[in-house]
Amino acid sequence: MTEITNETQFREALKGLSLSDQREVGARFVEHVASMADDERIAFATRVASNKNAAVDELAAAYKSAKAAAMDCYTRCGADADWSEQAGYFVARAASAIVVPEKDIGSDGPAWTAAMNGRMARTCAIIDNNADAESQETGQQYRILEDYLNS
Amino acid sequence: MSEATLERGLRALKEQIDTPIASFFSSCTHCGMCATACLFYTETENPAYTPINKVEPMRRVWEQEYTLIGRVKKALGLSKPVTDEELEEWKEYAYNACSLCGRCTVVCPVGNDITYMIRKMREGMAASGHAPEGLVGASTRAIQTGSPMGVKLPALQAQARHAEKDIGIEIPFDVEGAEYMMLMSSMEIMNYPEYMQAVAKIFEQAGKSWTISSEAFEATNSGIQIGSSDIARELVSRIVNAAEKLKVSTVISPECGHAYTAIRWDGPNLVGRPFPFKVRHILEVLDEFREQGLLKTEGFEEAKMTFHDPCQLVRRGGVIEQPRTLLNMVASNFVEMSDHGMMNWCCGAGGGVSANEDAEELKMKAFKRKKHQLDELNVDTLVTACANCRIQIEEGLEENEMDIPVVGLTEMLAEHLVEEKKTEG
Amino acid sequence: MSAVDFLLWVRGPGLAIASIIFVFGMTLKLFEIFMLGRKKNLAELRGSGIKEGFVTIFTRSRHADTYSTRHTKFTYYSGWVFHLGLFITVFLLTPHIELFKSFLGFGWWALPTPIVDLTAVIAMIALLAILFHRITNPVLKYLSVGQDYVVWALTFLPLLTGYMAYHHLFFRYEWLLGFHILSVCILLVFFPFTKLTHAMTLFISRWYNGMMGGEKGVQQ
Repeated sequence: MTEITNETQFREALKGLSLSDQREVGARFVEHVASMADDERIAFATRVASNKNAAVDELAAAYKSAKAAAMDCYTRCGADADWSEQAGYFVARAASAIVVPEKDIGSDGPAWTAAMNGRMARTCAIIDNNADAESQETGQQYRILEDYLNS
Repeated sequence: MSEATLERGLRALKEQIDTPIASFFSSCTHCGMCATACLFYTETENPAYTPINKVEPMRRVWEQEYTLIGRVKKALGLSKPVTDEELEEWKEYAYNACSLCGRCTVVCPVGNDITYMIRKMREGMAASGHAPEGLVGASTRAIQTGSPMGVKLPALQAQARHAEKDIGIEIPFDVEGAEYMMLMSSMEIMNYPEYMQAVAKIFEQAGKSWTISSEAFEATNSGIQIGSSDIARELVSRIVNAAEKLKVSTVISPECGHAYTAIRWDGPNLVGRPFPFKVRHILEVLDEFREQGLLKTEGFEEAKMTFHDPCQLVRRGGVIEQPRTLLNMVASNFVEMSDHGMMNWCCGAGGGVSANEDAEELKMKAFKRKKHQLDELNVDTLVTACANCRIQIEEGLEENEMDIPVVGLTEMLAEHLVEEKKTEG
Repeated sequence: MSAVDFLLWVRGPGLAIASIIFVFGMTLKLFEIFMLGRKKNLAELRGSGIKEGFVTIFTRSRHADTYSTRHTKFTYYSGWVFHLGLFITVFLLTPHIELFKSFLGFGWWALPTPIVDLTAVIAMIALLAILFHRITNPVLKYLSVGQDYVVWALTFLPLLTGYMAYHHLFFRYEWLLGFHILSVCILLVFFPFTKLTHAMTLFISRWYNGMMGGEKGVQQ
């Protein structure tokens, strides 16, 4: 039984996964925060990322629509910050990360990037409440990864 | 802030006129060359967007107040007064269609610094109540909450905590005697929180002390954008007070364009005295680290990449070589756009344009200039050093169906830092 | 008034009055500019900007970037041709040099008159092209005001009348020369109160432009 209890383990475990596995577990991270965005394009991205047989052009289409979702949600310069809306921006960024074309994958990998953006989304959602949502999301991501590895 | 009236606006315009302005107005021959320097003109072909036209009301104030012939004409009732209606019409030209990018200044054959003129024109626009709503809102929020987007300290601290957990390095607040005080723009705090992490990692490796002031962390200066020295002064003063309180040697302006102009070049003139600390852009600091052997990177990006020069940093700020030197540390295939460096083309969103909802459509049209440049070059990645440029370019690329990732330079450097120790989670 | 009386008046008292107004006007213009002052720059400057100011006075006569090089060909070349033609015609023609010599105390080397004759024609053709451009180009049409056209005429007339006088065209020489000098008098009188002041103030503007960039370490 694999147990994830700290960031180093989390990161190492994710790095060890294949690209399609990273997309799949990343999709689970995104699904966990998707309710904060309520956008069909997020669901589309997670569906495609979870499908090991997804075609290249399907991934491309999902990537394009997830990026568009991010552009729709970001807070315009000088606008009054709406942190709940801003959460949607990070959810969309997480969704883009899991369907990113292979050539554009950063050194952190899709799953890690999705996880970080998922945590950002959670932070945004309750930023005014000042509670420690960050570590709650982190802990839950550890559980998601454990479930994935042990299944 | 006092009430906006035409009277106050005209008085503000009068006060703004100095020797260079008088010389500039005396020299303009209506040659029209400034139009070809301006991306708002080139991408719309609207002659009203010709840069020198953006200051026409101020020209008339100059003529009527500061030239003999103009005063004679005014006394004889032969001159056209500046009216509220006219200033309302000029809102579009002076704000929506101008990012204060500075190209017109460099192209004008008689040497007019038209950007300088437009910046001063905005003082009259703001004082007379003819500034765009978005900028008024941003300025009000900035004065009342410290941030034009209402990003308050708890939000920043939450982002900082997230960053600390991610990278295992402390984000220090209010450390007296730290060498560097870091400013951040609300745009970065909200949309690109990875910037804070990148900075922390780099400073950790360099072994340099830094801090964020909980009393003044905002780099964005809405006063500069709207063109109100009063507002700009108040916002800069907060930074100065915090820097003096914490006794830092250097204040760092982040990856933001006009923030650099505001604190580095306008700041001391706004508060009326030289600063007892230095002001540097983050890229200047990183380049200094590089020179001192404190910025150690490994590996190279294979992708073909180019650098988008933020206007306020490069042409208007004088930080031209550093982005290139730094990018060459990690890029193996770096190509320049035609008209780059000092003559770069603006992204279309600076100078308050992106904070101005009325300019939304025009901003995307202006982006086409950048699109032309990128089409010529065919790169895999675009690197820049301004959060506002970044969002504008991302939006523009998305709208034009171009798939080019956009990355911040500081972030890219941090990704290539030599791993010196493993961090425990 | 006879042709000779007219000529004698215009080259004597007329020119003197016009010159005095010109000198007064240009001095006034300088005063109007410099009386306003410029606040000292309290920022930590990268340089004084003095060198950059001087460099810009010269370099600003050239294109700054690839885009404007491609898109302002007409204005750029017609401007150069016109200004060079005017400069040669005014300063390198023997009778003009004689006039300058009479009040400066020294003269200088002249170009052969037939060559200056040619440059005057080239300058006039350039001016006509410039006028056509001003009337037809959307940006110029939008920007142009009455003064732009009046100044055009004020600049064109001395060239035209000078050419006519040299070639003894259509009218008696004394009238032609008289009108040539009169056209110059009118130009001189209007000069300090129109955009023609750019001939002097462009040095000031280019200087400030270069200097303000130089303070930030940028050569504009």
